[in-house]
Amino acid sequence: MNGRKSFGGGGGGRGKSATGQQGKDGQRRPMFRRRKVCKFCSDKIDDINYKDVRMLMPFVPERAKVLPRRISGTCALHQRKLRTAIMRARQLALIPYTTE
Amino acid sequence: MNRKYELVYVVSPEASDEQVTELHTQIESTVQKMNGQIEKTENWGRRKLAYEIGRHKEGTYVLEVINGTGDLMKEIDRRLKVIDYVIRHLVVRVDEEQGVVERTKVRRTDTSRRRRVARGLPPDRQPGEGQRGDPDDDRDDRFDMGEELR
Repeated sequence: MNGRKSFGGGGGGRGKSATGQQGKDGQRRPMFRRRKVCKFCSDKIDDINYKDVRMLMPFVPERAKVLPRRISGTCALHQRKLRTAIMRARQLALIPYTTE
Repeated sequence: MNRKYELVYVVSPEASDEQVTELHTQIESTVQKMNGQIEKTENWGRRKLAYEIGRHKEGTYVLEVINGTGDLMKEIDRRLKVIDYVIRHLVVRVDEEQGVVERTKVRRTDTSRRRRVARGLPPDRQPGEGQRGDPDDDRDDRFDMGEELR
C-alpha cells in the first residue's frame, strides 16, 4: 500500500504541504496536480443515458447535487449531457433530488 | 412524421402483475390505433425509489421504445396522467440523439483508421498492441475533491 498508493495520494499531500509552506515563508513551489480529463471523452462514452444509474452515480455525491465541472474535469459538452441525464433520472426517482 | 420515443413509467407497488400487463396492452392498443409500433419493452421489475412519491417507497419500472408521431405520445402521456396507479412517467424523444451518437462513433473509427493507415499500420487495432499505462493508476483520482473545496 505504501509503495504504490503513496504515488497517487502523495500528489495531493504534496500539494497541500506546498500551500502550507507558501504561507510560511512565501516560497513558491510548483504544485503538482494531475490534469483532469473528461471521463466521457477518454472512455469514449457517447451517449450519457438517464437509465444508466451506475454511470451517473459518481457525479452525484452525498448531497445528491451535480458534481461541478471544476472537480470532475468533465468537458462542457459532456457536462451538459450529464446534467440532462441526471435531471431525467431524478424525475423517475432513480436518483434523489436531495438527501436529508 | 415518425419519431422514436422512449417511455418509462413507474407503477405503484400495490398494483398487481395483471394490472401492469394490462397497462402494457392498453398502451399497445393506443400505439396500434395511431399507427405506431412498439420496438422494445423492458420490465425492470420492482426497484426502490430514490425518494418517496406519495408514501410509496418502491415501484415497478417499465420501459417502452415506441415509433410514432408526437400526437401519439401526447395521447399516451394524457392517459398515463389519468391512471392513478402510475406514479411517475417520462417520455423522451431519442432518435436525434441516437443519430448524433452513431455519427460520432463512425467518424471516430474512420479517423482512427485513416491515421493508422497513414502510419503504415493495419486499420484495426491488433490484440496486445499499444501501450497501456499503470492499470491501477487509471482512475484513482478522477473524483478526488480538489483542494479548493476544503
